[in-house]
Amino acid sequence: MPIQFSVNGQPVNLDQKDQEMPLLWFLREKMQLTGSKFGCGIGQCGACTVHLNGSAVRSCLLPVGQLQGSAIRTIEGLASGTDLHPVQQAWLDEDVPQCGYCQAGQIMAAVALLEQVNDPSEEQVNAHMSNICRCGTYTRIRKAIELVAAKTPPET
Amino acid sequence: MIQDPKRREFLKVSAIVSSSMLISILLPGQVRGSANAKAELSQWCVYVHIHSDNSVSMQSPIMEMGQFMRTAGPMILADEMDLDWSLIQFDTTMPTFLRRDEQNNIVYAHAQIGTGGSQTLKNNWSYLRTAGAIVRQMLIEEAAARWGCEAARLTAKNSRIIDSQSSRQFSYGELAQQASTRRVDLSQLKLKHPSQFSIIGSSKASIDGRDIVTGKPLFGIDENYPNALHAVIDRAPAMGARIASYNREAALAIPGVKQIVETPHHSGPHWPGGETQICAAGVAVLADSHWAALQGKAALATTWTDANRYAGLNSAAHRTALNALAQSSNPGKRHRDDGNVEQAFEQAEQVLEHTYERALLSHACMEPLNCIADVQKHHAVVVVGHQWPHQVALEVEQLTGIDALRVEVRNKRMGGGFGRKGETDFLREAIWLSHKVGQPVKVLWTRENDMQRDYFAPAAAVKIKAGLKQGRIQGWHMRQAQTGGEAESHGFPAHLISDCRIESLTANHPFPLGAWRGPGQMQQAFAVESMLDELAYAKGSDPLTFRLALMGPAKIYPINFWAANEIDSGRMANCYRLAAKMAGWGRTLKNGQGLGIAGHFTFGTYVAFVLQVQVDKNRKLQLQKAWGVIDCGLAVNPNHIRAQMEGGFIDGLNAALFNQVTVQDSIVATTNFDRLRWMRMQEAPTQIEIDIIQGTQSPTGVGEPPVAPAPAALANAIYAASGLRLRRMPFAEHINI
Ligand code: FES
Ligand code: FES
Repeated sequence: MPIQFSVNGQPVNLDQKDQEMPLLWFLREKMQLTGSKFGCGIGQCGACTVHLNGSAVRSCLLPVGQLQGSAIRTIEGLASGTDLHPVQQAWLDEDVPQCGYCQAGQIMAAVALLEQVNDPSEEQVNAHMSNICRCGTYTRIRKAIELVAAKTPPET
Repeated sequence: MIQDPKRREFLKVSAIVSSSMLISILLPGQVRGSANAKAELSQWCVYVHIHSDNSVSMQSPIMEMGQFMRTAGPMILADEMDLDWSLIQFDTTMPTFLRRDEQNNIVYAHAQIGTGGSQTLKNNWSYLRTAGAIVRQMLIEEAAARWGCEAARLTAKNSRIIDSQSSRQFSYGELAQQASTRRVDLSQLKLKHPSQFSIIGSSKASIDGRDIVTGKPLFGIDENYPNALHAVIDRAPAMGARIASYNREAALAIPGVKQIVETPHHSGPHWPGGETQICAAGVAVLADSHWAALQGKAALATTWTDANRYAGLNSAAHRTALNALAQSSNPGKRHRDDGNVEQAFEQAEQVLEHTYERALLSHACMEPLNCIADVQKHHAVVVVGHQWPHQVALEVEQLTGIDALRVEVRNKRMGGGFGRKGETDFLREAIWLSHKVGQPVKVLWTRENDMQRDYFAPAAAVKIKAGLKQGRIQGWHMRQAQTGGEAESHGFPAHLISDCRIESLTANHPFPLGAWRGPGQMQQAFAVESMLDELAYAKGSDPLTFRLALMGPAKIYPINFWAANEIDSGRMANCYRLAAKMAGWGRTLKNGQGLGIAGHFTFGTYVAFVLQVQVDKNRKLQLQKAWGVIDCGLAVNPNHIRAQMEGGFIDGLNAALFNQVTVQDSIVATTNFDRLRWMRMQEAPTQIEIDIIQGTQSPTGVGEPPVAPAPAALANAIYAASGLRLRRMPFAEHINI
């Protein structure tokens, strides 16, 4: 049975033989969506983070065969047209990136966190933001997350 | 872009067809010396394109690896040009312009696009300012000619030329095309006085921010090169090993796999001397996708022979040997021997002797190594993020015989460089493969190979013997044993102590070594700043007071090291003082908390940090907050100086806590982030506050200086918090985190 899922709202139909392919390489090579990065290939670094039905997952370990019926969102699907997602905007306001390589994964992880928790505590940020930044931008990432949280109206 | 004699003509033609100004500046002394060199001197700047609507496109004259030179370079150029920063469109392409100098060496034709050694800004400072000033002058002279007035009464501001005696103005766009044909008298050229800077000194955000947060393909790994085969190479895991067998048929049976090619082992001379393995023997799987090539590599089931060539190569044994060497009485190479240390120790009231150690360090650039090569008959294209683009062209020339000036090097943003992307091994494989199979080839490394086939930062053991007399340091003897390279001898406390000996000893082990982010500086600062703390406590003095007393009255000492020809104890003392002030040095802390201070001078820049940590009863460590101060002369972009201070300090903390390459029987065991722990959000300090001392000196580097003091600041803070003195990196082996 072919696998059907969506990437940034766009339907994907996949035949049987490709099922072992990790989502990361499917995105990068079959869909030319190269925003999700390869960093380790073993689920450690988080450079490949995307959303699977709204949760942050590491796409380098996720075979496309397991995606039947799921919705994938990548960094390319975050902005609407030229309007940046508030997390992307906060990343610019704090000028977070250095080399920039890890940042798509960091942003996807932060978006998933902030969609679950409006105003995450320091511990929640630490527990959720486990992606490696080789350039050490952690303090600015934290500030950018706090900036978004501060702008979000509290839950009623 | 391909370099040929017609290149300059091409530039002129393109200027005409686009009815805009494309300026290419060859500064005096950069043109091959000939009688008509003057006449040939074309005053165009390849990086700037002024359009008739007054908008500007700019290419960065300098490479980017996260050190923000793609932003700093244009800032310097734009300031001298008096451009309106908001009107500039930045181009992500970064071509390489090369030429041959009088000795026939390949050098950069315009800006020094390469980057490394915290020298980039310094190397380009004058060039970019002069280039910008020439363009400004061309525009002013064009406006003066049109108005028929003296050029001297005209000023440039925000992309406009203004007549100070009337309100008339020209936009640059109106003047550009004709201005570009003008010749400026370079002897009359005036650079701005620093008080006139409007862009330099202001905080600017990265010019690539938006492209990064939206996931644009900026990196070499993202490049989709037409018709390229994707290569994954199965490289020998043990240094020096050769291929014994592999299953070619099984790999070829994977859908998408096209060819299997053996890539040769290659050794050659390498820093710090002697022969090193440059490329491991390997089997390359060439396929129509990276995923197919990865599967092909797994199917090869390669076995290796001659893996015992370096059977004794073992990182733990090496560290033991380094320590023994530091303790031994072997005479080392003496870098300085002021006064008489033996006598000084005899007269001392107290003598301390401790050894501070560091492991081999991994680079682990976030973007694994990759390179695309398209070698054709008489020319070649290489798409890569490399620190030294001229090196890329030379590598093609050496391997294929194609003239380096006929190599188009398309520079990509680097997902981290840290010295690793200044090596040539990853270029060589791609060039060699493309030449061999006659097709473009994209080689992408697995993380495992990237970490195994690294050129490590040397391990070191530094023994310092220091005496105290009447509260002052009485004699200082430092013996630094390391895998390769030498001790630094220009930095403090040399100059400040009358009896001072600094020696290095090298334990020759064939570990491949390379440039890292100021590793020698870090090792020195770890030892020196830890010992200063130990002396302060031994004397019952406050570590800050002790350091300030050591610095003494502000004094400048001449040195000759990299970017620096002087070292100033006053500038160093100011950094200590201000960092301590920001941290509230001396305030009462909670039980288990401690503040540690450390500073360092290198590459002409002064840095000091205070770190606050907490150590609980179970030796559980938490890094809480850091305060850093930097004096790097004139601060070109305060925002990015802060960013480098934050990131560099964290890199140093990571080295102190976690970074350690382990090698067992010539095989690197730390192959990925599951085996080599790396600092993440939860271990990093939650806040880092930075202040910049505004200087007037020419700007100096900021990439490496903040890394150096981190391990000592951490060790000193842990001691202050818990009484535990850590002298051997990585600390995570001795404390819980
Ligand atoms: S590449 Fe997926 S976690 Fe590192
Ligand atoms: S910005 Fe370079 S790895 Fe995070």
